[in-house]
Amino acid sequence: MPEELQIYAPLLPEIILALGAMALLMYGVFRPETESEAETVGWLAILVMIAAAITIVWYGNGTVRLFEGAFVDDAFARFMKLLTLGGGAVALMLSFDDFRNLRIMKFEYPVLVLLSTVGMMLMISAGDLIALYVGLELSSLALYVIAAYRRDSVKASEAGLKYFVLGALSSGMLLYGSSLIYGFAGSTNFQVIANAAKGAEVATNLWLIFGLVFLMVGLAFKVSAVPFHMWTPDVYEGSATPVTTFFATAPKVAAMALLVRVTVGAFPAIAMQWQQIITFIAIASMLLGAFAAIGQTNIKRLMAYSSIANVGFALVGLAANSAEGTQAVLVYMAIYVVMTLGVFACILSMRRADQAVEEIEELAGLARNNLPMAFALMILMFALAGIPPLVGFFGKYFVFMAAVKAGLYPLAVVGVLASVVGAYYYLRIIKVMFFDDSKEKFEPVRFKAGAVIAAAALIMIFGVIWLGPFTDYAMAAAQSFTFVK
Amino acid sequence: MEFKAIVFLPLIGAIIAGFFGRLITDRGAEILTTALLFVSAALSWWVFSRVGFGGETIKVPVATWFTSGELEVAWSLRIDTLTAVMLVVVTTVSSLVHLYSIGYMHEDDARARFFAYLSLFTFAMLALVTSDNLVQMFFGWEGVGLASYLLIGFWYKKPSANAAAIKAFVVNRVGDFGFALGIFGLFAITNSVSFDVIFSEAPNLVGKEMSFLGYQVDILTCLCLLLFMGAMGKSAQFLLHTWLPDAMEGPTPVSALIHAATMVTAGVFMVARLSPVFEYAPTALMVVTFVGAFTAFFAATVGLVQNDIKRVVAYSTCSQLGYMFVACGVGAYSVAIFHLFTHAFFKALLFLGAGSVIHAMHHEQDMRNMGGLAPKIRITWAMMLIGTLALTGVGIPHVGGFAGFHSKDAIIEAAYAAHTTYNYAFWMLVFAAFMTSFYSWRLMFMTFHGKTRAEPDTFKHAHESPMVMLVPLFVLALGAVASGFVFSEYFIGHDYKEFWNRSILHLPSKDILHHMHEAVKKAEWIAWAPFIAMVSGFVLAWLYYIKMPSLPAATARTFRPLYLFFLNKWHVDELYDWLFVKPAMWLGRVLWKTGDGRIIDGLGPDGIAARVVNITGRVVRLQTGYVYHYAFAMMIGVALIATYFIFQGGGLLK
Amino acid sequence: MEIGIGHYLTVAAMLFTIGIFGIFLNRKNVIVILMSVELMLLAVNINLVAFSSFNKDLVGQVFAMMVLTVAAAEAAVGLAIIVVYYRNRGSIAVEDINMMKG
Repeated sequence: MPEELQIYAPLLPEIILALGAMALLMYGVFRPETESEAETVGWLAILVMIAAAITIVWYGNGTVRLFEGAFVDDAFARFMKLLTLGGGAVALMLSFDDFRNLRIMKFEYPVLVLLSTVGMMLMISAGDLIALYVGLELSSLALYVIAAYRRDSVKASEAGLKYFVLGALSSGMLLYGSSLIYGFAGSTNFQVIANAAKGAEVATNLWLIFGLVFLMVGLAFKVSAVPFHMWTPDVYEGSATPVTTFFATAPKVAAMALLVRVTVGAFPAIAMQWQQIITFIAIASMLLGAFAAIGQTNIKRLMAYSSIANVGFALVGLAANSAEGTQAVLVYMAIYVVMTLGVFACILSMRRADQAVEEIEELAGLARNNLPMAFALMILMFALAGIPPLVGFFGKYFVFMAAVKAGLYPLAVVGVLASVVGAYYYLRIIKVMFFDDSKEKFEPVRFKAGAVIAAAALIMIFGVIWLGPFTDYAMAAAQSFTFVK
Repeated sequence: MEFKAIVFLPLIGAIIAGFFGRLITDRGAEILTTALLFVSAALSWWVFSRVGFGGETIKVPVATWFTSGELEVAWSLRIDTLTAVMLVVVTTVSSLVHLYSIGYMHEDDARARFFAYLSLFTFAMLALVTSDNLVQMFFGWEGVGLASYLLIGFWYKKPSANAAAIKAFVVNRVGDFGFALGIFGLFAITNSVSFDVIFSEAPNLVGKEMSFLGYQVDILTCLCLLLFMGAMGKSAQFLLHTWLPDAMEGPTPVSALIHAATMVTAGVFMVARLSPVFEYAPTALMVVTFVGAFTAFFAATVGLVQNDIKRVVAYSTCSQLGYMFVACGVGAYSVAIFHLFTHAFFKALLFLGAGSVIHAMHHEQDMRNMGGLAPKIRITWAMMLIGTLALTGVGIPHVGGFAGFHSKDAIIEAAYAAHTTYNYAFWMLVFAAFMTSFYSWRLMFMTFHGKTRAEPDTFKHAHESPMVMLVPLFVLALGAVASGFVFSEYFIGHDYKEFWNRSILHLPSKDILHHMHEAVKKAEWIAWAPFIAMVSGFVLAWLYYIKMPSLPAATARTFRPLYLFFLNKWHVDELYDWLFVKPAMWLGRVLWKTGDGRIIDGLGPDGIAARVVNITGRVVRLQTGYVYHYAFAMMIGVALIATYFIFQGGGLLK
Repeated sequence: MEIGIGHYLTVAAMLFTIGIFGIFLNRKNVIVILMSVELMLLAVNINLVAFSSFNKDLVGQVFAMMVLTVAAAEAAVGLAIIVVYYRNRGSIAVEDINMMKG
């Protein structure tokens, strides 16, 4: 690499992804329109993601700001990017078999996933309102499309339409907030904004506060925090299951990273304000997620509410506004991604006569028909419910400990109560699998899904062993930020 | 070592039989527990000869049990004459009952469990009698209560057995409540639960007062009465006696072991063991005397009219325990223990004999369906006869007689020598002796003599019990005949001070045994009074049940109210039912239906679950599916947050 | 009367509010929602340009250009989705978009 370009090395992952997406688009266009070609594109897309991940690890070092601070590469960004790429790649891999089944195995899907991933990477590295917006829209536009990817299905197209309308609304609000913040600070750069917010007369400046509120609403929509979560259940249910898998993992991670970067990175001076907002939406998300999930019969819809609750738990860590809190967010999101991938791999394996079934009661008696899968799903459910010694417990533990250390006792108490309520619907699935009269057998679990299920369950059981180094890594990432009390 | 072996061998047997019964089979459990018990019994007799006549008091530390602040409880065995006597009684009767049970229970399919319980009971009883402090005693006390509960309810498929087991447990809790309070009180006053400390403190406490339930009360009187409350429960004294007759629902060997020879005498043992405390509480002793005398009298009246062969013996036990308490009450603890000792033999004999009869009659217990059995089961008849002779106290004053003669007549003499008000104790005991004689012979006559009233089929098949059941009878019969005159010199005669050593305190100021001997010398009729009562009881029974069998019915008709009063056991059970059981049931029902059902469940688990479902329903209904509602929800969220900050006025920004 | 930053912001706020109301008051046609979204983005652009001029900073205008571009892409994607939906459902009335709820 030429010497003068060396400084742009941190941008390599995004460049690789973007170029890869375009190249694959060309490849797809000029090759015959067959399923195997499409799968080739898919595997190539995964390769591109792996390449991007390798360059992240390879070139990542310290904190680098490019383009007048519009692009930030730091340990936090690298952690979240690796998580996003991992989640996205696994979700993509899980899609192949299901799309073949649905006869919608097309090369556009991997390309869209790649484009969306580029957007997410830019979101994670955003150090400027413009970069934030562009990254967000890049990922969102691709997500609108893949939400409606199964285009002959009413439900999928309805999901895409709902997600689009509400997404447009939310990005409108995010933009409006951005414009107010720009007006206040005279700059779109996060560091400048942070400095401007330190001024004394800021105290009464409603521009800044309103700007913050609108900006955070836009971001809260992306992480599907209550009350901006309404799209989530419908999109999760309506979209094809592999798409839902992708929705539940990579974009969540990226949006959460962006939320952390905006709050902790751009507004340390008014931490009190955004902490209040985060506290409010965290409590609302945990409670609504827990209660609404109980009423669900569709397992994808249940997972939607589960993800809402999980985002609430992660936000508890953010509300702490401390290195421990951010570390807890990172650890929580990582564990959440693994659990979610495992569960969705199970959902993808719920097939009878080549038809996917999604009702919870279809799992009845799974323990008698397919004990390994039932056992793995049980482990995952226990992990989601936060039962020690599974890794899922430690995610919640770190988050609540951070909140307690920050003195946010009510938040921690509500969190624990919500996880008690939440345990109910996770345990109900276990009860259905193990104690209800068995239904007809599912088709055999496919290799890819089976591998993901097994890996996720094993990580839940044995992950404790690597928890120490992992949390240290997360702590290093969290210390990319300076925290102002 | 031998001391520990005596106590812990039965425990080992119980553990093996209880937990590994399946492994070693029922037969193995029987042999193992019985063999261990016989070893324990042999060791006990050896210890008895050493301690009882050697006069040493031995303490064997086993372990420190627990220490909490000032409360230090050690587990150590206290072996003195009193303990040695109890060891002999417990292990001997227990080993014989084990042996007997092999025959009696041979048709049962849970024999390993039965023998485990029996051995467990024996261990608990041994822990009780070897205790060196009150807490250890309480452990044994509750242990025997547990074993008794388990054994009464051994046939747990029988509702009446379960009810009886629960009744025994609950009634005993009433007594234990007092016992526990007494222990707490002694600890509060003396800062120790160890016997040595308490005994040395007791003389200093005379006349001192403490506050109890808001009253200023004499410490020793109050504590002794509380302790005696425990004794009343365990030893089935009047008011807390109701469980004993019902306990006859258990297998007969259990009745012989627990409800005749050992556990029920624990109360008497406790009073004797704590004699260094009771001796300084004359008021409490008066209560003991009165309760004992009244129970002896009351139980005898009820025994007159019962028809169940085991219940007759049970009321007889109750009555005899009353005798023992009278002896304790007048300060003649050694006489009480002597009667305990002899009574264990002949009452166990009577119970096992009754068991043999029941066995022969295929579990028929109603004497009205027996009669004329003597020729069929000659050996059992002979053994029962010996038991009856011992119980009624047959013997010639100044010459000698059966076991009961020596011990019971001594109690009656002691009661006279104590000079109670109007000599009520003496007269009640004499009258009870008359009734004892009557109901004992009534039992004999109704069961073994006259024309049979049994089902012809049952009668035809009535058979003598196997040897394994008869051998224990022989041994016990030997005790019933000989234990009186062999041991009376040591227990209550001239050598009693050397024999008991310091295990029982008799205040020199009121040497009741001396007075007793003096009183008999002065008034010869006192020694003859129980003899006359005994003989007249026999003659009356012979008249009623052999000579003129129509008399009982006629008498019952003439004195119908009195007959019914006795038959219904003085209506104590009905009274309790009305006083305690019904209100408790009502309260329980209220607490269950209203308290638990409506309030706790309603506001607790059920209520929360219902609210969760309600909330879920509402939350789910919020998700209408319309995009504009979703957008509206988002705007509400924005409006809420923005309004919040406007009303804060940015005040939090500072 | 001097036209100041406040006036621009007020106009933008009004437009933005009208856009939002257009989204959740409209029960008839999804296209109207698309138009409302465009209105919101327009309001934002007014804001950005006004601030750019007020702050003497060109970044705001660059931001506005970006917004315009993205809005165009968004409209394209949105219309495509609406077409797909219409094909499946035969209607684009907002009230009919109600297959999934709860």
